Amino acid sequence: MPRVRRTADVTWEGNVARGHGAISARSGAFEAFPFSLASRISQAEGTTSPEELLAAAHAGCYAMSLSNELTQAGSPPERLSVTATCTLDEVEGEGHRIVAMELEARGSVPGMDAEAFRRSAQAADESCTLSHLVRASADVNVRAELEEAS
Amino acid sequence: MATERRAEVTWQGDLMGGSGTVESVGSGAFGPLDVSWPSRAEDSNGKTSPEELIAAAHASCFSMALANGLAQSGNAPESLSVSATVTFVPGTGITRSALDVLGVVPGLDEDAFRQAADDARENCPVSQALKGNVELTLNARLQSS
Repeated sequence: MPRVRRTADVTWEGNVARGHGAISARSGAFEAFPFSLASRISQAEGTTSPEELLAAAHAGCYAMSLSNELTQAGSPPERLSVTATCTLDEVEGEGHRIVAMELEARGSVPGMDAEAFRRSAQAADESCTLSHLVRASADVNVRAELEEAS
Repeated sequence: MATERRAEVTWQGDLMGGSGTVESVGSGAFGPLDVSWPSRAEDSNGKTSPEELIAAAHASCFSMALANGLAQSGNAPESLSVSATVTFVPGTGITRSALDVLGVVPGLDEDAFRQAADDARENCPVSQALKGNVELTLNARLQSS
């Protein structure tokens, strides 16, 4: 299979407490998002952070894995909504660590019952490459709920 | 104190032919951003992907860890230019994140800069969350100010 490479660029100026940075995506999808320590560990105030970007990556990766699991089970989804919440905390002796990622999936899947949806949601956690990776420091939990098909 | 950050994604249809959107993030900093399997696994066509978002998370996390390490040893950087390139092998998963940093740090020599950069590569929270099955490489250079 081909290797796919994706790159992001960051500039940072100054020390960590009072400095600031900007993040851009090589795809062109976003450019010069500001970030700083204050907005990372206290109020976000409209500013993104490494943990928010990781949450966005994980929600996107998990949504694709779940779509694939449902399709393989014979029921491609009409619509999935995935929320990922990433928690950064201070761990004694280690400093700041990403300690948890909560995934909440809601799905509208014609012809599927709640139990089968939960099984696919579990299988998607196992096949999602990011779920596998972030377990190096984080607990990953999945909650899945089926919505009425429209 | 723990900090939580949230993102919401919607997806419609199967994996190959369907499409998704990073609808919004808790901070409000961005969204909606479109995603799809073809733009993830082939040409991006201007769309972001989980791998690009991880690259953004890793580059930003690493830059803060390095700025912190340098400031603690008495050499706060004037500027750091960092890129992270994440490699995804469809069917296998994410295999690598390659960090590249060019620093302007008054009064610091190349060896000390490389050591500080390697420490940030090893210990920044995103590195810690990804390590194990992902190769984390580093290329660190100083630019004369």
